[in-house]
Amino acid sequence: MANQSGNAYALTALFPILHGVPTKCPEGMEGQTHTACVRHLLQDVLRVSEDSPMARVPDTYLSRFCILLDVPYQGAPTVLEHLKSNYLVFEVNFHGTLEPWLAGMWKAIEPEVRSLLQNCYGFDKVTDCASFIDYVKKCQIETTFFFEGSTDEPVAVQLKNLYLKQEFSHFVFANQGKSAAELKAAFEEFVARTQPDNLEAPTWRPGAYQLETATVGRKVMGAGTQ
Amino acid sequence: MSNIAGKAYAMNVITPMRWYTAWITRLIFFVASKRPATTIGLITLSLIHYARWVIIEANQFPHVNDDQPKEELKYTYMMFFSNFNGSWDQYVDSFSSAIPDGLDLFWKLNIRYPKSVPMLPFHKYITSNQIWSDHYYNAYPMAASNDVKSAKKVSGALAAFIADTKNSGADEFQQKYNKLVLGLQHDVSAMGPNPIVSLSAWAVEKRLVEESMAAAGGGL
Amino acid sequence: MISELDLEDIQGNIVKAYGRYGFPLARFVFYRVEDAEKGRLFVQRVTPLVTTSAPWSKKLKVDIPAVAINIAFTYEGLKSLDVPTDTLHGFPDEFTMGMKARRAILGDTGPNHYKHWDSIWNHPDDPTAQSVHILIGINGKSDKALDACYQEICGILEQTGGVTQLKGHRGPNGAEDLEFQPANALAGGTEHFGYADGISSPYFEGCGEDPRYIVGGGKPTGQDPASPKGWEPLAAGEFVFGHPDEAGGFPEAPGPPLFSRNGTYLVYRKLHENVGSFNALIEEEGKKFGSKEWFAAKLSGRWRNGAPLVSFPTEEGANRFAAELGMLKGKVHNKTATEAETQRYRELQLKLTAFDYTNDNDGARCPFGSHTRRNNPRSALEFGVKGAFKTPGALSNRRRILRRGLPYGKVEDATRNDGDHGIVMMILNVDLSRQFEFVQEQWINYGNDFKLANDRDPLVGNHGSDENGRGAGRMVIEGDTNKPPYFCSGIPTLVETRGGDYFFVPSMTCLRMIARGLVDPT
Repeated sequence: MANQSGNAYALTALFPILHGVPTKCPEGMEGQTHTACVRHLLQDVLRVSEDSPMARVPDTYLSRFCILLDVPYQGAPTVLEHLKSNYLVFEVNFHGTLEPWLAGMWKAIEPEVRSLLQNCYGFDKVTDCASFIDYVKKCQIETTFFFEGSTDEPVAVQLKNLYLKQEFSHFVFANQGKSAAELKAAFEEFVARTQPDNLEAPTWRPGAYQLETATVGRKVMGAGTQ
Repeated sequence: MSNIAGKAYAMNVITPMRWYTAWITRLIFFVASKRPATTIGLITLSLIHYARWVIIEANQFPHVNDDQPKEELKYTYMMFFSNFNGSWDQYVDSFSSAIPDGLDLFWKLNIRYPKSVPMLPFHKYITSNQIWSDHYYNAYPMAASNDVKSAKKVSGALAAFIADTKNSGADEFQQKYNKLVLGLQHDVSAMGPNPIVSLSAWAVEKRLVEESMAAAGGGL
Repeated sequence: MISELDLEDIQGNIVKAYGRYGFPLARFVFYRVEDAEKGRLFVQRVTPLVTTSAPWSKKLKVDIPAVAINIAFTYEGLKSLDVPTDTLHGFPDEFTMGMKARRAILGDTGPNHYKHWDSIWNHPDDPTAQSVHILIGINGKSDKALDACYQEICGILEQTGGVTQLKGHRGPNGAEDLEFQPANALAGGTEHFGYADGISSPYFEGCGEDPRYIVGGGKPTGQDPASPKGWEPLAAGEFVFGHPDEAGGFPEAPGPPLFSRNGTYLVYRKLHENVGSFNALIEEEGKKFGSKEWFAAKLSGRWRNGAPLVSFPTEEGANRFAAELGMLKGKVHNKTATEAETQRYRELQLKLTAFDYTNDNDGARCPFGSHTRRNNPRSALEFGVKGAFKTPGALSNRRRILRRGLPYGKVEDATRNDGDHGIVMMILNVDLSRQFEFVQEQWINYGNDFKLANDRDPLVGNHGSDENGRGAGRMVIEGDTNKPPYFCSGIPTLVETRGGDYFFVPSMTCLRMIARGLVDPT
């Protein structure tokens, strides 16, 4: 199944965008088309990085939205042709299988999904998680070749791994040249602090773009977690 | 609107191909998926998180209800989506210099594909067929593909090391530790934000961060 | 592939590393054009003095002159001389913006920020502007010859007027009042950290230099790197406009074609060396690592005497090599060497550059993150996977840069940073963004291509410091089965940018066209 490579899944969906102007436009977009509203939501409304709604969708590696306005013309003498609709392209790489992941997306960010897809044909039939999954499958295009250049572990595992790599990096450099006893003691402290077996915490938060705020679930002495 | 999320770049390319040769490209991809040797260059480049090719025939564009006009197209289209590390230029240059034959293999039946060497026409081909991302999310902006793979190795090695040294005295511990770090010597460099590959992208990012901080009431 | 370049049309600093020809002294003089017509007249009068790449050889009965002069222009400089807008618009952004504006990409932040640069680079009315227009570099065999030439050019300036010679280089007394930037080779051919410098240089097709230098200077073929079979020349179009490059095409250049043909870009960077910090670092870390010289070698990839780590992994071996090489060099130069000794000298010289990293895939000899391995990876980026890429140097061949320049200043106190000592570095290439800026950004101030995450070049990276003021630079020095790896932290920024900009080095034809106001892209 070309959509899947190990435990990594490549979902590509093309949601056909409604023609014309919505009856109810987002603020500041009065008289603008559905396509413009979708783009406005994607560019101006949705926050980025760790504040992106996709950060709340479990097991999402990397994802993007873009708008396909037309097929590209390669110049004469090739055929000049056009798409009849614009498409909201949703390309996402995630861990797991399709239906559970989509269910996770609906559960986590239903309002954002609605605000985007209500601009698309056929979304008016979506009332719940099951109909959302059906809708996406209708708009899904089968992947021809999926190249997985990374790992296919759950995102929580990847993030914990990254946290450990970073912390171990600091450990290794800080303990260069220490005596055997010092090293052992320091390592025990390291294990207690970083809790390698605990996927939940401490770890890196999804979408973290700066080191100062990347770590979550770190216990501060006597002050609970932060 | 940005194609950049930390260390990753989102490239989206769509190109036409003749419907009657699309099956050949499909076959090429099928063979590539079964033959690891085809992608050894890609793997060694190690610049990609995930990439995909999607061939879509005219009648495969989603048609969800009768209100939506049905697409009528002569060509079949190939979409390419990549999440890679480094700048656009570095990526395209690397492919063109290091694995031009592989690139050509995948794209050669696309209409007016100029071959990946010489480089400038190839650059033009990609740019003129590229669609910009409007929202790009990366679960780990501070990690390149190398870092994610390396992190898996570190985590596994640490787990094994912890189990192996549970009852070790200090000297034995140190011996085993030295062996551990020798095996991980190329996995313990610290990560951080991406270097600035594009001044315009950086300026947009700065503006967004400032707006975000202002919205949150002045930030930290 | 054009194999004969029109060397008389190409400025000499592109092909010739003047140091190799016995020019230990230099002066770099900068100007601003106030009047376009007079500026062009100045350029016209200087042009006959400009040195070309035409070979100097006994065979051709052309002696090495006493001085070598070259001239280059910034974007604003070309504009000030009335080079047409159409041509100016053909230059890429990075050149138009100038080096200051590229600081985020180059890592010219913190101590490297232009507010710390010599005042010549910061116009009092607008420090962000590009106020330097023209660079004239004079290289001389002796101070007398150098000064005579300098005075001649000053004389021309006096005659034509319309051009200001800019002052403001920081000198030995700390004041920024020098009217030119002096530079001088150090005894032993080292720079101020004590490393032998200028050992290897890219060799390109048609350059006319001794073909011996193809080994190690060209691109790797995949065959034995210790022999000439392992190397072939790089395409000229990587370093000179108008000629095929390594990507099967021609480098993009501003029009008309005659304007850019045989020209290139020159990156001028005054790099201050924090000698005190460097000496303290190798002293302290050297003790912990086990050997000061070995530690210094690991930072660079070469022993301070120039021997490459990959070929000479032990201090003893490196010293023996350098001693024999030095002894034979003396004999050859004094013309007292026998035939066999001359042959042996050539063999040893070859060893300085005839190597690759294919037998050092774990970095046990030469660290992945060392300065020379980063700046010229050869085929290291295949990571030992033979045949992974179309050619072994596929990821390196288009990142090569020509390095010209000399140290400046003198170390009075080796424990201090604040003396007048550094390197005037000049880098030549046809694509600022793909070559110089790429190396600076991806290979010097970053480490992903070497699987080193965000680690930087230990010697020239901008490491920053932590909240205690301690250097934040780190380096992995790989171990092997006999020795665990050494994790070095606390590396401070050792090299700081103190000035510079991007210049265009025109061909002789273009120079004459600029001087006469004849450039016309119509």
